[in-house]
Amino acid sequence: MSDAITPPEVPASEPPKQDALVTQVIVLGLGAEPYARKADCPAVQVSATQLLPLMTRLRDDAGLAFDMLTAHTVVDRLDANIFELVYYLYSLNHRKRLLVSSSIPRENPVVSTLTPVWKIAEFQEREAYDLFGIQYDNHPDLRRVFLEDDWKGFPLRKDYKDDFMLTHVIEEES
Amino acid sequence: MGLTPEKETPFIERLPGANYMLTRMDQVINLARSNSLWPLTFGTSCCAIEMMMATGASRHDIARFGAEVARPSPRQADLLIIAGTIVKRMAPRLRTLYEQMAEPRYVIATGACTISGGPFIYQSYTTVRGADEIIPVDVYVPGCPPRPEGLFYGILTLQRMIKQGETVRRPGIRSKPVMSALPPNITMNDIEAEMESLLRQEADIDVEKARKERDWPTGLNH
Repeated sequence: MSDAITPPEVPASEPPKQDALVTQVIVLGLGAEPYARKADCPAVQVSATQLLPLMTRLRDDAGLAFDMLTAHTVVDRLDANIFELVYYLYSLNHRKRLLVSSSIPRENPVVSTLTPVWKIAEFQEREAYDLFGIQYDNHPDLRRVFLEDDWKGFPLRKDYKDDFMLTHVIEEES
Repeated sequence: MGLTPEKETPFIERLPGANYMLTRMDQVINLARSNSLWPLTFGTSCCAIEMMMATGASRHDIARFGAEVARPSPRQADLLIIAGTIVKRMAPRLRTLYEQMAEPRYVIATGACTISGGPFIYQSYTTVRGADEIIPVDVYVPGCPPRPEGLFYGILTLQRMIKQGETVRRPGIRSKPVMSALPPNITMNDIEAEMESLLRQEADIDVEKARKERDWPTGLNH
């Protein structure tokens, strides 16, 4: 075993490659930054105040033309005390996918609605309101969509509890 | 009429030396009811996929037990197979469907979720813990989901219950609900071993024997 296979040498300090699409979004100058966490597609993050201008530009820019809001969901990061809003965009013209993330504080979860940009955002935001309690500013019809209208609380929040859930049984056993 | 008196001995009695059979109306009615159970086309969750594709399609084929005429209207259905997790939002609708069905109506609860809430029994904000919290159940079929033969076993159990059950004089008297699990001594290994032996049996061909069976009577070969 004298000639064991040696792994190819990797240069120690190569800067991580930035996706061309991410660069293209950042040079718009609307507050977009590279996404700080790991993602499975090109991703940017933006402050909540800059969200609506950036999204409008992403849709209207001819070089980007993101005409579909594929999915909108929320991550409850209890330890960091924020809600992370996640928007998946898709461009049918350029066949490109982009993740846009934005964080808002848990105590006051207010963000502007994206209904004027994409009509489908109306229902996706109703779902996020229903389960996470995100308050969308200027939303035309912010009602519950899955749960009953008289439901108390927002069940997908990490700190949600009610009597129906039998959480005390688990706590007694552990 | 397609009745075999030998198989239906408790119900039908053949008169010796004649082409008559003796029975009671109750038993004939129950026989007819048990052999034409029309299920409602309704599923609450993933067990419904198993119910439709595994038991309704060919190979297993629910039609062998007269229960293939799935009705999309509860007014025409006899049997409600509750298949899958019931959530709080669906529970009143399910109850409505049950109440719309005409008497006599039968209910089979398939799968862990409809029996007890299954994996969602703790820390779920929305799952109803068992179908019997909403509607009375006749037969419980365990499994997640139950295998097709498990559901058939449940249907056969229900048929047996119907045949022993209510009469014209005592309408609405039912048997107590039962848990219809496959016999406990049957394991997956048994089933696999049986399938393997069947495959071997089909794969090993005795050429001599096969040729002899194909041969014409003497004198016509060659």
